[in-house]
Amino acid sequence: MKKVQRRAGSALLIALLLMAGLALYLVRLADDGGAWATYFTGGSPAGQIVDRNGALLYSSDGQSASFAADEAVRRACYHVTGDTRGNVATGALSQFRDSLMGYSFVSGTSSGKTLRLTVDSSLNAVAYEALAGRDGAAILLDYTTGEILCMVSTPADDPQNPSAEPADGTYINKAIGASFVPGSVYKLVTLAAAIDNIPDLFERSFWCGGSAQLQGITLQCTGSHGSQTIEQALANSCNCAFGEIALELGYDVLLEYAEKLGITAQLELDGMEVRRGSLDWESEDMDIGLAWTGIGQHNDLVCPYALVRYVAAVANGGSVYEPTLLGHGELDRQTELLSAGTASKIASMMDYNVEAAYGEGTFPGLDAAAKTGTAEVGDGTSHAWMTGFLNDPEHPYAFVVLVEHAGGGRVNAGPVANALLQAAVAASPAQADAAQ
Amino acid sequence: MENLPDMTGYIMQGSKYILPALALWVLLRCLRSMLRERYEPETWAYLVDLNGTEHPVNHWECIVGRSRSADIVLDDPTVSRMHASLQRDGDGDWTLTDLRSRGGTYVNGEEAGAWESVGDGDEIDFAAEATAFREISGAERERLERRRSAPGRSVGPGVTLLILSLFQAFLALEFTVTADGEHLYSICLAFFALMAAEWFCYLFMRTLGRTGFEPETLAFFLTTLGLEVCATSTPEDMFKEVVLILAGVALFFFLGWWLRDLERVKRTRWLAAAAALGLLALNLAMGEVRGGSMNWLELGGFTIQPSELVKVCYIYAGAATLDRLFARRNLFGYIAFSAVCVCALALMGDFGTAVIFFATFLVVSFLRSGSFATVLLAVSGAGLAGFLVLSVKPYIAQRFATWGHAWEDVWDAGFQQTRAMSAAASGGLFGQGAGEGWLKDIVAANTDMVFALLSEELGLIIAVTAMLAVIALALFAVRNAAQGRSTFYVIAGCAAVSLMMVQMGLNVFGSLDILPFTGVTFPFVSKGGTSLLSCWMLLAFVKATDTRRDASFVVRRERRRVRADEREAYPEDYDGDGDYYDEGEEELR
Repeated sequence: MKKVQRRAGSALLIALLLMAGLALYLVRLADDGGAWATYFTGGSPAGQIVDRNGALLYSSDGQSASFAADEAVRRACYHVTGDTRGNVATGALSQFRDSLMGYSFVSGTSSGKTLRLTVDSSLNAVAYEALAGRDGAAILLDYTTGEILCMVSTPADDPQNPSAEPADGTYINKAIGASFVPGSVYKLVTLAAAIDNIPDLFERSFWCGGSAQLQGITLQCTGSHGSQTIEQALANSCNCAFGEIALELGYDVLLEYAEKLGITAQLELDGMEVRRGSLDWESEDMDIGLAWTGIGQHNDLVCPYALVRYVAAVANGGSVYEPTLLGHGELDRQTELLSAGTASKIASMMDYNVEAAYGEGTFPGLDAAAKTGTAEVGDGTSHAWMTGFLNDPEHPYAFVVLVEHAGGGRVNAGPVANALLQAAVAASPAQADAAQ
Repeated sequence: MENLPDMTGYIMQGSKYILPALALWVLLRCLRSMLRERYEPETWAYLVDLNGTEHPVNHWECIVGRSRSADIVLDDPTVSRMHASLQRDGDGDWTLTDLRSRGGTYVNGEEAGAWESVGDGDEIDFAAEATAFREISGAERERLERRRSAPGRSVGPGVTLLILSLFQAFLALEFTVTADGEHLYSICLAFFALMAAEWFCYLFMRTLGRTGFEPETLAFFLTTLGLEVCATSTPEDMFKEVVLILAGVALFFFLGWWLRDLERVKRTRWLAAAAALGLLALNLAMGEVRGGSMNWLELGGFTIQPSELVKVCYIYAGAATLDRLFARRNLFGYIAFSAVCVCALALMGDFGTAVIFFATFLVVSFLRSGSFATVLLAVSGAGLAGFLVLSVKPYIAQRFATWGHAWEDVWDAGFQQTRAMSAAASGGLFGQGAGEGWLKDIVAANTDMVFALLSEELGLIIAVTAMLAVIALALFAVRNAAQGRSTFYVIAGCAAVSLMMVQMGLNVFGSLDILPFTGVTFPFVSKGGTSLLSCWMLLAFVKATDTRRDASFVVRRERRRVRADEREAYPEDYDGDGDYYDEGEEELR
């Protein structure tokens, strides 16, 4: 009997295996429960999505969904909200489904939650209208909190009445999900590397004769700028000066700064992967290729999100609260991109740009600092860029505007940026109320 | 009714938290009662050596030897490690068998071979160790019995059952809110019938003077969950389900009563083996294919799954008394029998049940032989067979291919697993409420994905409690092994709980993509008539291991040595003492 009794313990091995299996399940459940629970709920999970002022962007009882009443707002917020067919993968309906459905490990799903986003749908509408049917993207964020107030991508669709044959690029949120040739806005990145690595940068003068010969190949400039300080070179957006700087820094330093400033890093917005930018220069591309790399041409690609994040750091003294659409419950961790000294130098130079080159009329009544970009795409057209921020503690906004194939940066992206900033400043008292 | 418009919300919210608490309470009370109470061995006789030391004989089947793993340890160098076996049959007659010892065994000076009869006062010499066999008188046995503790003193089984009834009442109450009007009546009636059945069992046991009720309570708890599953998925079948539960309980009593008589059991083991093979043959010849496997049989309007009944026969035929464990021949016979069963199941395409049988086979053959070599041999043989099955049956290979990748193919191969995981996660710890889930409308939710269905509607706590209830039965059977009367009961009990656990593991983890999806049932919980019947019968094997004083109706009370000559004059269990007269005996007979 005793023998059999001892052997009987072998049955407990099965019990042990069962417990191990159960433990494995519980771990998986804790990890992926939210994704599992919300997988089969269809495109219109019950709940509401509202903007920072409480304006309704999406509402559903689980069966039928409705969006904002105004079609312009619906289109302007198309990429932020997402659609019921799951075409916009980066939309809140896809990305923040867990919080919308109120999933938690303890209580499972509980329908009818309200998800509040940091965007202001009326600012989105302003940006959308200012883009006026052109393709592009715009982001405006509060650089003291990281909250994204406006994020628009065009072309957009109406989520209430989705089009059967939408225009190319409709489902992509270009603000975070695509990268573009940056052109001269990229000089801000090269500039940061130059300030840190060229000790006598501010004592030097840069000569521009309208073009430069690099190993026998001509580097064309936007004008003939003569002798300039670095401030003037940035304001003139002088290719000769920045080509010279790029050659002096070398590709490795350019790469290092692209990574460090987040241009080519893998960034995340509330858990969503943001499109990475890229630089690509080989030695057979010769000096001319390296010079253009520093100027934001050649093979450079930048995501608007990465650029505005960098500019926000410049405005915020070198560090940035990671941008968010959901809000940071508590502001705790900043990411340091560059030193406070470098940041303040770049900030004052961007200030000087507006003052000296773009003219106060670009942003009437606003104390703005900015940099334009006119990125040659290669098909004869140019992307128009404008990025910058307001030097105003009441309205600490950083922005980026991209208008594809639109031509000059100041002329085409500038007015969109101005419209957006003016609306943001005008709207901010309401925003302050809402925050209370 | 118009005065109570808001009650529904309170009912659902309240019972949501009350149900898991009650379920855990029932489980903990049963566990405490089964595992914390003192277990004292029964004593049947003594071997008295020359020093006057009394070695108690605590089982019906004992090994005498020098080895520490012998039941009666005689510390004399001439005694072999496993010297002899001492066995008592169901009639109370003792026999001694020499286990080819070196020094030999002698009864009253004569060399003993096999099945040498011994009685009170006989002198038994194990090589140079001289002992006397002293049987216990009826009065002494009564005295010893009274010293043993009976279950139910520290944890009252009635109170546990009362908590379970409360659990059932709250569950039924939830259905009054969520169920369709047309089925409401039958659902409530079914829960009421279940309560009536369990209380009838309890009171019946009390009239028999038996106080151990933990295994039944756990089984009734699981059956309650099964009733919930039926009520939410197929409320039109409630009547049928209740009839099946009652039939299951009746079969439990029948098999339990049948197991009381070890002689009868020994005589009929070959019948069980024949029945198992016969059922499988019948199934192969006339079976119907449903859901990929041919394990259904239509008999006179009823559809049954013969493989479920074979489980009971398989354990019945596979367990063995101590004397049979020493003959290799018997083990080989068992291996051949098992191979036929598993192959037949594989032929039917009932892959899940084949795995369950195989795991049970491993446990039983290990219990019988204690040899890892045999077990390893079996495993490698099965591995080969499994490989063959995979290559012959493409749909099983498909299931293996999907295993671990369910989310990559949510509309085809991973359809059931992903639905199960999604529903299970959406229930959280406390569930969405009985009848409030969506998984119930998916095919096979009430059988193969029943863990997920419970998780969704009643919450993770109750679903896990259901798993723990089955594991608790296993702990109980394993613990009882120390006090078993015969190895037959110990092996059968352990095999039954192993079978239940493996089946549950395949069911639960198959639906959660942790194991390949095999489509077997969760014991007692999954909907399925034959499965429910077989589970209740398996419970009788567990019940047979419980030798605590007056605990189990399957274990006979032996008050007094009834001599062969007296047996003519008195009913077997009549011992002339009114207090200990076994009232239920006549009814059961």
